[in-house]
Amino acid sequence: MQKNGNVERRTILKAAGASAAVLGLAATTGCGGDSDSGDGTVTIRYAWWGAEERAKRINQTIALFEKKYPKIKVKTDFQDYVAFWEKFQTQAAGGNPPDVFQNAVAYLRKYDKRGILLDLKSQIDAGNLSLDGFRAGVEKVGQVDGKQLGIPVGSNTMSLVIDQKVFDKAGIKPEQGWTWDEYFKALKKIHDTEKISGDTGYFGVMYLYDLYLRQNGKAFFTEDGLGFDEADLTEWWADGYNRLKAGIITDPKKIQQLRPKSALASGDAASEFTWDNFAVRYSTEGDSTYALAPIPTTDGKQTGQYLASLMLSASARTEHPKEVAQFIDFMVHDPEAAKIMGYDRGILATTEQFDAFKPTDPVSKEIAQYEEDTSAAGVLGAITPHPSGADTVEATFLRIADDMSQGKTKVADAVKQFFSEAKAALAA
Amino acid sequence: MGTAVTLVKDSPPQVPAERPARPAVVKRRGRRENLAGYLFMSPWIAGFLLLTAGPMVASLYFAFTDYNLFNSPKWIGLDNFTKMFDDPRWQKSVEVTAKYVIIGTPLKLLLALGVALLLAQSRRGQAFYRAAFYAPSLIGASVSVGFVWRALFSDDAVVDKAQTFLGFHTGGWVGDADWVLYSLVALTVWQFGAPMVIFLAGLKQVPRELYEAAEVDGAGPFRRFWNITLPVISPVLFFNVLLETIHSFQIFGSAYVVSNGYCGPADATLVYTCYLYQKGFKEAQMGFASAMAWMLLLAVALVTAVLFWSQKRWVHYEEDAR
Repeated sequence: MQKNGNVERRTILKAAGASAAVLGLAATTGCGGDSDSGDGTVTIRYAWWGAEERAKRINQTIALFEKKYPKIKVKTDFQDYVAFWEKFQTQAAGGNPPDVFQNAVAYLRKYDKRGILLDLKSQIDAGNLSLDGFRAGVEKVGQVDGKQLGIPVGSNTMSLVIDQKVFDKAGIKPEQGWTWDEYFKALKKIHDTEKISGDTGYFGVMYLYDLYLRQNGKAFFTEDGLGFDEADLTEWWADGYNRLKAGIITDPKKIQQLRPKSALASGDAASEFTWDNFAVRYSTEGDSTYALAPIPTTDGKQTGQYLASLMLSASARTEHPKEVAQFIDFMVHDPEAAKIMGYDRGILATTEQFDAFKPTDPVSKEIAQYEEDTSAAGVLGAITPHPSGADTVEATFLRIADDMSQGKTKVADAVKQFFSEAKAALAA
Repeated sequence: MGTAVTLVKDSPPQVPAERPARPAVVKRRGRRENLAGYLFMSPWIAGFLLLTAGPMVASLYFAFTDYNLFNSPKWIGLDNFTKMFDDPRWQKSVEVTAKYVIIGTPLKLLLALGVALLLAQSRRGQAFYRAAFYAPSLIGASVSVGFVWRALFSDDAVVDKAQTFLGFHTGGWVGDADWVLYSLVALTVWQFGAPMVIFLAGLKQVPRELYEAAEVDGAGPFRRFWNITLPVISPVLFFNVLLETIHSFQIFGSAYVVSNGYCGPADATLVYTCYLYQKGFKEAQMGFASAMAWMLLLAVALVTAVLFWSQKRWVHYEEDAR
C-alpha cells in the first residue's frame, strides 16, 4: 500500500479489486465475480425503489422470468425513493451500479453525462429488445440526444386528486378546461362552507409549476437550464403565499407533521396535485372517496400535460447487456408480467401489456379512465427535457417553497435563493 | 482523593534509567514479544490505516477540490471554504448547531449533576434508579428512538395533548420550524445518564471529613455544595463539559430521523452534519462536504482549546495530582 502522498481512492479500489481477482483465480472455481457460473448461467442485479406491495409483485414477475429464461438469475435490491438514489449514486461512483434499475426522467441526463447509462439502441438493433407497441409514443420519454437510455414500463401524468365527498357537498364539479380562477374560487367555497382548506400546497410542486409554465408558452426546464425567470416565480409564489394566508391552502405545519401521509388522506385538505398513479395511496391511507380531476388551465384549453414515465435503464458497465435487454423486454412486453404488476408503476406502457391487464378495482379503473380522457381531450404534449441536476433542483424547489410558506423566508428572498441554488445544481 | 493518581505516579518506571547491556537471549525475547504485540495489534492498525487515516487523508485532499464522485477531483484551492461562508444554508446550519450545543449541553449537564447529587446519597432502590436513568444513554442514539421521538412530538400526540391540557396548544413540535429543534434538545437532555454516572463517581471521591468540618463551622447545604462539592468535582465537571460539547457538535442521527431525512421544516433542524450529508450524498458535492468536515474539526478543536484554556480559572486539581 502507498504510505504517503495523496492516495487516490480509485487506486485503492482498483488494488482491492485486483487482489480480489487474484484470490478468485487462486480458488479456481471459475467464478469470475458474481455473475457467471460454470454452466453458463448469468446473474444480473436489478435495483428499484418502492415498498412492500411493489416488492411482492416484482418478485412474482421475476419468478416468471427465471422460468422462461432458466439461464438468467435476477438478484433484486430495493429502497424507498430517496434512499434508492443515495445508494445508487454511491454504487455508481464506485463503478458498481446494478445491471438494470428503475429510472425516471429527472435522472437521465445526469447519469448519461457521467457515463453510467447504457444506450439500449445497440440491443434494440440486435433484436434483444423491442421498441414496438408503446402507447402514445411514450418510448420517447427515455430518449436523450438520440440515445435510448430508458425503456418505459408505465406511463403517468400529473393530475388533481380530490376528495369527492367534500367537492360534492360544496356542489363543485371539476371539468376539463376549467381555469385556475375557477379552481381557486372552488377552494374558497370549500373553505367557507365545508371548513376544510382546499389544497395541500400546490405552489411547491415542481411538476405542476412546469404545467403552468407550459400553459403560458414556457417550461420549467430547457435542455441545459431553467425556462423561466425570477418575475415568473415571484408571481407564482406570492400568489401561493397569499392564498395560504387566506386559509384556502392547508397549514404547512400540519402537512409536515403528517408526512409521509398526505393531508388529503387525513381530511386536512380537499385536493392535491400529484401523479395519477399515486391515486392508489389515498384510498389506502384515508377513508373518504377520492377521484381524479382535470388540471386547471390558463386559457380554458391547454393543461400543459404530458405522459411521463417510470423506466428501466441498464448500466453501461454491465457484463451482460444481452441478458439485461432480454429482461427489460420481458418486463415491458410480457402479458403475464402485466397481469401481476397492474398499474403499480403507472398505466402499462405497451399495448400488449395494456390489453392483457383489465383493472377490476375502482382506483385502477379510474386511473385508466383518467389517462384515456386526458388523451381524448387532446391536451397531451411532449415532455420537456430535464437537464443534469434536475433532481437536485426539484428538491430545492420543494424545500424553499416550504421555507417560504412557513414564513421563514420572504417571497423575494426565496426566489433569489432558488435561482442561485438551482444554478449551482445545474452547473455541478 | 487522588490515590489512584499517586499510585501510577509512584510506580517504578518499567525501564531503568541506566540500561545495563542486556544478554542476547533477552534481546531476542524482547523482539519476539514486540512482534507478537504488533501481530495482535495488526487488525486494529490495518483498520485504522484503511478506515480512518486513509479516508482522512483523502478527504483532506478532496476538501481542496471540486469532486462530484464521478469525474476525477479538480484542484480548486480554497474555493470550497470561501463558498461556504457565502452559502446561506451553511450559515443556517452553523446557527442551528450552535443553538443546539449552547442550549442542549448545559441543560443536560445540569440535569445529570442534579440527579447524581440525589442518587449519591444511600437510600433504598438506589441501584434501580441509577439503571433507570442510565438506560436512555444506552439506547438513545438508535434510530428507533428517533422514530419514537417523532411520534411523541407530533400533532395530537402525547406531548401536544399534555400541552393542550396545560393551556398552550402549539400543534406538535415536529412540523413547527420554531419548536422542532427543542424536541432534539429534549432528546439529548433525556440521555443525561452517561454524564450522570461520571458525576456519581466524582461525588464518591469527595472526602466526608470536609463536609463534617464544614458542618461544624455552620455551613449550610448550599455553601457546602458551592465551596466543597463543586471545587472537588471540578475536574470531573470539566471532563463532562468537554465530552458532551464535542458530542453535541456531532449530532446527526436524531435530526435526520425526526425530520424524516429533510432536516426541516424550513431547515429548522439543518444541523451541520445533516447539511454535510446532503451536500455529499444527495448533491454529490464531495469536495464541498469534505471541506465542511474539516471546518467542523477545526471548530471543535477551537472550542476544545478554549475550554482547556478556561480550566485554569475554574478547575481545581489537588496539588500533588497535578
